[in-house]
Amino acid sequence: MINFNISQWRAWAPGLESADDWRAWCQAPVLLPASEASPDVSFLPAMQRRRLSRLARMAFSVGWPLAEGLQDLPLVFVSRHGETPRTLDILSDLANDQPLSPTQFSLSVHNAVIGLWSILRNETSEMTALAAAGDGLEHGMLEAAALLNEGAPAVLLVISEEQPPEAYANWIHDVPFPYALGLLLTPGDEWQLELRTGTVQHTHTQWPHALNLLRTLLTEQGACQHAWKNRVWNWQRKP
Amino acid sequence: MSNSNSLEHDIKTLIIEALGLEDISVDDINSDQTLFGEGLGLDSVDALELGLAIQKKYGFKIDADAKDTRNHFTNVASLAAFVTAKQAA
Repeated sequence: MINFNISQWRAWAPGLESADDWRAWCQAPVLLPASEASPDVSFLPAMQRRRLSRLARMAFSVGWPLAEGLQDLPLVFVSRHGETPRTLDILSDLANDQPLSPTQFSLSVHNAVIGLWSILRNETSEMTALAAAGDGLEHGMLEAAALLNEGAPAVLLVISEEQPPEAYANWIHDVPFPYALGLLLTPGDEWQLELRTGTVQHTHTQWPHALNLLRTLLTEQGACQHAWKNRVWNWQRKP
Repeated sequence: MSNSNSLEHDIKTLIIEALGLEDISVDDINSDQTLFGEGLGLDSVDALELGLAIQKKYGFKIDADAKDTRNHFTNVASLAAFVTAKQAA
């Protein structure tokens, strides 16, 4: 069992940017229409942001304001599917015997976002990029709790998922729309996360679990549960 | 527009498109402006990407290890001269 505080949060999805947008969505969640919209990252210099994919822009847009004024802030970046549009572009070039784009290649790796984060923020704290099946949020939370336990005054946890290209539609079912969530975590006991194991029926939830957690957070519920394979994660807020 | 100017114009367009320079137009790039580091401020990933774009568009191979390759990529004018020489060869 781990304990922590969720000190601040930020989230982005097409059409949902402000805290009020998210409060409304969390009260009455709906599927968002397909959109090419990308978050505003104009706080980055033009030469730096031109190569950022939407996945990276989402991560920066939720993470940057949370990191404001904080130095030596460790970052845990979680994405289950990563840069699927870039991967498809690269694989398509390979299939057509075309040379690969160095930019696409260098930014398709899973730790590209944290590498850019480190360069653009001049941040040399510990950073981790995770891809952990259906419960990446919780594995990221474990990693963050370990960093807090080591003495970090705060840890930034960022979950970012891009809607995969149509070619992957038969295999990827857990990204109804692109979204990102950033949580600024601090030591404390306002929240606890507990893992139980056992054979559980996998229940398909309509919304990604990171957004279910946000609903719990914003609608003042006391708890939420997330089951994946034989792992049952219980999130509980101190009453 | 003379042939060399039109080639320079094409190369500027290629640079903007291949490197995603959304905020820059052809008129913002001088043919004798340094492309890498100083000047336009492109970096090593841009060098690889631009090398690839030129090979694709003009249909010849660039030897990345040849010692004069770096000089060909100094500015738009030197790139245009390089492409012209390669196409004549």
